[in-house]
Amino acid sequence: MTRVWAAIVVFLFGAVFAGLAVGYSERTAPSELAMRYLEQVPADLGAANVVTGILITYRGFDTLGEVAVLFMVAASVGMLLSGGRGGSTSPAAVTARPARPPSELVVNGAQVVLPIAFLFGAYVIVNGHLSAGGGFQGGAVVASGVVLLVLGRPSVVLDHGFLSVTESLAGVLYVTLGILGLFFAGGFLDSHILPRGTFGAFVSAGAIPLISALLGIKVAAELSVIIDRFRN
Amino acid sequence: MVEGLLQPLNIFLLGLGGGFLIPLLYRLSKRLPAVAFWAALAGIAVISGACLWRLLGGADAFEIQTAGTAPPLAISLRLGLAEGFFAFCVNLAALLGALHLWRRLRDSYTFLLLYLILVMGINGMIMTRDLFNLFVFLEIVSIATYGLFGLGQTRASLAGAFKYIMATVLASSFFLLGTVLLYHVTGTLSIDEMLARRDLIAGPVGTTALVLVLACLVIELKPFPANGWGLDVYETAPAGVAALVSVGVSAGVFFALFKLMPLFAPHLTLVAVSAAVTFLFSNLIGLRQTNVQRMLGCSSIAQMALLVLALALLLRHGEDEALPLIVGGLFFNHLFAKAGLFWLAGAVQRQRIRDWNVLSAGAPFILVFCSLLVAIAGLPPFPGFWAKWELVLRLAEHGGYAWIAVVLFGSLLEAAYLFQWFGRAAKAGRRETGGRVPPWDLFPAAACVALLTIGGVVASWVAGAASAWLHAPLFAGAALLMAEGLPGRAKCLSMLLVVFAAGAWMVQGIGGINGLFAVLLLSGGLVIAAAGLYRSDARLGYYPLMAVLLLSNVALLRASTSLEFFFAWEIITLASTFMLALSTAARGVMLQFLLFSLASAFLLLTGLAIARAVIGTTDLSAFLAAGPVAAPAFVLIALGCMVKIGVIGVHVWLPAAYAKADDDFSAMLSAVVGKVAVFGLFMAAYQAARSDAGLELARAVGWIGMLTTVVAAFLALQQADMKRMLAYSSLSQTGYIITAVALMSHLGWVTALYLVANHLLVKGILFLAAAAVIERTGLKRLEACGGLARRMPLTFAVAIVALVSMSGLPPLAGFGGKWLLLSAMVDRGWYGPLALGVLATLVGLLYMVRFGHAVFLGPLKPEHAELREAPAALLVPQFVLVAGILLLSFFPKLLMDPVSAAIDPQFASTLVWQGMSLELIYAYWNPARAMAGAVGLALLGAVLLWIFYRISRRPSRSGSPTGFFSYYRPLLAPVLASHAERFWGAVSVAVGGAAGTARRVYTGNGQTYALQVLAYVLVLYFFVVAVPMLGGG
Amino acid sequence: MERAMGLPISHLLLVTGLVLVLIGMWGVLVHRNILRIIIGFSLFGTGTHIVLVATGYVTGGTAPIIDRALPVGEAGARAVDPVPSALVVTAIVIGFSVTAIMLSYAIRLYEARKTLSIDAFTESKW
Repeated sequence: MTRVWAAIVVFLFGAVFAGLAVGYSERTAPSELAMRYLEQVPADLGAANVVTGILITYRGFDTLGEVAVLFMVAASVGMLLSGGRGGSTSPAAVTARPARPPSELVVNGAQVVLPIAFLFGAYVIVNGHLSAGGGFQGGAVVASGVVLLVLGRPSVVLDHGFLSVTESLAGVLYVTLGILGLFFAGGFLDSHILPRGTFGAFVSAGAIPLISALLGIKVAAELSVIIDRFRN
Repeated sequence: MVEGLLQPLNIFLLGLGGGFLIPLLYRLSKRLPAVAFWAALAGIAVISGACLWRLLGGADAFEIQTAGTAPPLAISLRLGLAEGFFAFCVNLAALLGALHLWRRLRDSYTFLLLYLILVMGINGMIMTRDLFNLFVFLEIVSIATYGLFGLGQTRASLAGAFKYIMATVLASSFFLLGTVLLYHVTGTLSIDEMLARRDLIAGPVGTTALVLVLACLVIELKPFPANGWGLDVYETAPAGVAALVSVGVSAGVFFALFKLMPLFAPHLTLVAVSAAVTFLFSNLIGLRQTNVQRMLGCSSIAQMALLVLALALLLRHGEDEALPLIVGGLFFNHLFAKAGLFWLAGAVQRQRIRDWNVLSAGAPFILVFCSLLVAIAGLPPFPGFWAKWELVLRLAEHGGYAWIAVVLFGSLLEAAYLFQWFGRAAKAGRRETGGRVPPWDLFPAAACVALLTIGGVVASWVAGAASAWLHAPLFAGAALLMAEGLPGRAKCLSMLLVVFAAGAWMVQGIGGINGLFAVLLLSGGLVIAAAGLYRSDARLGYYPLMAVLLLSNVALLRASTSLEFFFAWEIITLASTFMLALSTAARGVMLQFLLFSLASAFLLLTGLAIARAVIGTTDLSAFLAAGPVAAPAFVLIALGCMVKIGVIGVHVWLPAAYAKADDDFSAMLSAVVGKVAVFGLFMAAYQAARSDAGLELARAVGWIGMLTTVVAAFLALQQADMKRMLAYSSLSQTGYIITAVALMSHLGWVTALYLVANHLLVKGILFLAAAAVIERTGLKRLEACGGLARRMPLTFAVAIVALVSMSGLPPLAGFGGKWLLLSAMVDRGWYGPLALGVLATLVGLLYMVRFGHAVFLGPLKPEHAELREAPAALLVPQFVLVAGILLLSFFPKLLMDPVSAAIDPQFASTLVWQGMSLELIYAYWNPARAMAGAVGLALLGAVLLWIFYRISRRPSRSGSPTGFFSYYRPLLAPVLASHAERFWGAVSVAVGGAAGTARRVYTGNGQTYALQVLAYVLVLYFFVVAVPMLGGG
Repeated sequence: MERAMGLPISHLLLVTGLVLVLIGMWGVLVHRNILRIIIGFSLFGTGTHIVLVATGYVTGGTAPIIDRALPVGEAGARAVDPVPSALVVTAIVIGFSVTAIMLSYAIRLYEARKTLSIDAFTESKW
């Protein structure tokens, strides 16, 4: 019976979506707002990657919120998985289950890929204002490296205390940078607190690379914590 | 500097910065997170409060730009008056909620940071002016909530949390999809720009996008039937978390809806219908809940739906300027009352309603509990009352009668289950609570009561009814409450003094009929209340409530606007309800009493609202010139008063309440409180006559009055319980008054007032006499007593005077009253009611003889040989009342002249009876002829009864009074079967059955809930897209 | 690359996203196992993200990164809309967060009942 209802509902949503797909027409030119972004991000913020410029500066308030979400999830997952208590306790003693040892492929692969993965992650993070990438993306790459690490070496113990301090510190610094914007630039989260620099240079685009780096560190630490919580 | 710190942006810095800092601080010291938490939370509350203060002082709305760039490029926020009000309320509630939850929260710093960021997120939802940012804040709030659900340790709470996550994730996914599609069609994410480009939102993409965003917000507010996931969480989450979801998260979502409402302008009716369905069904389902938190959940959902309903309807009618009082008032009311109740539930820690025997939790607890219930039920003096009044008024103005019916019926259901809960809680049971609720646990809820009281005063001021005399009854009650530690008699004395002083002050300046009524009710009330001195026990709460009751009578008569009138009316209802609840015996009937009273009040409210709509003012004096258009209003007002009087058919609550109440309070109910509704009916009739409205209906009312008289007389005759007999007798006598009022003539009205005075005196005496008998013998059954005249001669004497006066025998006042009534009926040619009246008088004679005979005559029971006369505290008031009867009987002009004069001067010439002097009235009618007729009829009846008695007499029984009256039982058989009681019983069963059926949609399965949510979205889509297409052809 | 199977590229992407949403929805509604339900939600979310990206596509557009391939002057004419791309980053992170929370609850539910069937968790109803 449930399946029938489910089928009906999914079918009807299909009909709604079909209407949407039929009525949809591809943009032939960016919206007026997009045009302004495409002009102003390079000119005003000095960032080559328009998406990063939007994310870090113009919609920095969103990004801050999103960081808060991730921060809360890292804390909640730890709390939930330790039976609703966690948070105040030090990282749960890792009792690496004597499960099947990881395959040789994973172990060796990890050895080869890990340094590259971390390096690449770092590259993506710090070059976010210049090319495709940014704090989130790079942080995710680093965290994937961590996944590989714990897969390849199940005995490894991540220091949750360190990670937690790192993510908190990065968060506090992020907010502090935002507040600096209030005093030294146009407003909260304004990236003009640092000089714009030469367009396309590594050190340029105001505080964007700095915030990007903080984001990357924070995201990497949080994702690692979350992943590690599930391991236990 | 200070100004810089108190910027709204700092709310976010405190929330986020504090949240991020907490783990760091924890590394430094285990105590620091708590310090940071409280500092940040208090800071948030202070900032929002300071901003609101500045806005109230006329400052411009705070516009906050992020990234130093103006929208639409960057995200902007706004804190205007509405935002400030919502944010401040939520932050205040969050602060109190953290106090309540503190013992759980401090377990782990994770909870602290989740709580802090949650509060910040709600502020964000309120302030942001960017649609996608709204999504981000919605997610922040959701995820913080998911995390806080981790405070619940039971399996059920985990399962509830998961179901909640499933439903809300679906909703927020739709919001995301809708937001991006809206960006696609409008090219902006700034809400202000989007509102300006409303026209671009069309076509399949735009419409679908709009539906998706609307659907998310509606679903987040838990619409029936797609809200099982919400109820499950309300039931299973820790009370503090449930409170936060109920008032905090819902507030954020509601404000988001409010902000985006202009986008949904074409769909306001759809939103209103959805909210109306939710409001009705949630309250219906609440009736059948056995779990306290789940029931509060039903009420929460209903209250949010009422908010949405009010918002949608007011916007549809362009009544934006009414939003602050109505939506603001309802929101404030729901926020603090519901949070307070959840916190109380958390403090008591009893899940099942039937385990809630919390009398031992202490008087402060009960006071807080009652106040919160009253607030939720939308009763005065709390903000919900003023908001609901204004809402109904505005709806009536736009002819929204169906909406009014929904709002009031739903409110009635809500009051039913809330006060059912109260009834359970007040019932002393075997399993009392272990002890008192410590003050610390009570504090957050008590703070809510304080805030609600302040809110009520502010709302009354906004509604234009903030006069000192109107609130004087409550002040007096509060003052007496402070002295509750005194001995019982001292409290009674101080109450009498306070009522006398305040009453004398309030009565000044009341003129005309109102003045007469006021003096009558106040003095009668004081005399009867003085009988309370016969009891020496503490009677906690009784005397403050008595003061409120007596002074509210005066306030009602002093009312110059319909709002003041209604306010006093509701206070009288509440005071009597709680006074009933104070007595152990009457607790069972309290709910019935309240529900009929509320039904009556709602009829009255609708009538007053319609009157306001057609007359254009709430000024009562303007009612006189209303004209025939106001007829429906007068009909509703009269109906309301008749329900409150308890005319036959809706009388079921009355005998039970009068019989079960404290003995001296029964006297007050019958003699004084019952007259309030009579006054209402009188005024309605008077004004209807003056404005030529509804005269045709008067004849029906006359019939109803006489039917009530006859049926109640028969019912009185068959009662075994003396107070129950007196209760029916009271109803029967009131029937005469109704008919007198319905005569719509000068003579009729003079008669009505004369009868009112007579009945007040008579019933005061009789109920007090019954109180004396019960006090001395402990017996309530008429036939169990006997021969008491020898032991209690004074009580016997006053009772006889009262009985004679009530029966209408010459020479006492009752004779004059009935004479006048019969003459007026003859004059109008109402021969049918006249015949009924004669019959009722005969039957009345029988039951009165029975009362006197059974209690005072016949053989004295051996165990009563040592009885003493009634205490002086009971006798003195009775003698005063007897003096009143004698005065009224032998100097009728003392009352009649002022009455006649009060009615005269404004009298229109359209009426049958011009103002005449009393001599003329007595002379107009040929007494001889009618007297002969009446006597003839009476003789005939007596002969018939005697024949019946002879035929069915059985020798063995002839001695005792029981035997004497048992012969008439077969005669009474037709009325024995109480059709009315069976009917109302069936109604209650049917409503309960409907509730049982409706709640079957909540299967408890998360997947079913998800299906319901998705189906709800489809239904909304259908109504938005398909219906206009079909309609538009 | 402008058109595939006769449809503009973004249209195809849009349809793919919406179909993914439907598949996710089906998974949520039909599978009894909580882990599968969570996978359903993930698909639902991913589909939404694809729709997001699709709506940002501008005919013939390229990534909105100013470099040698896309000089500042041509950005307006040749870049896709950067806004949905920025939004989708946020949306993905939030989607990930929700999945993580749901999985934590799934683990707790399993510990409580030793089953992952959604039908086993109907303690509170009516």
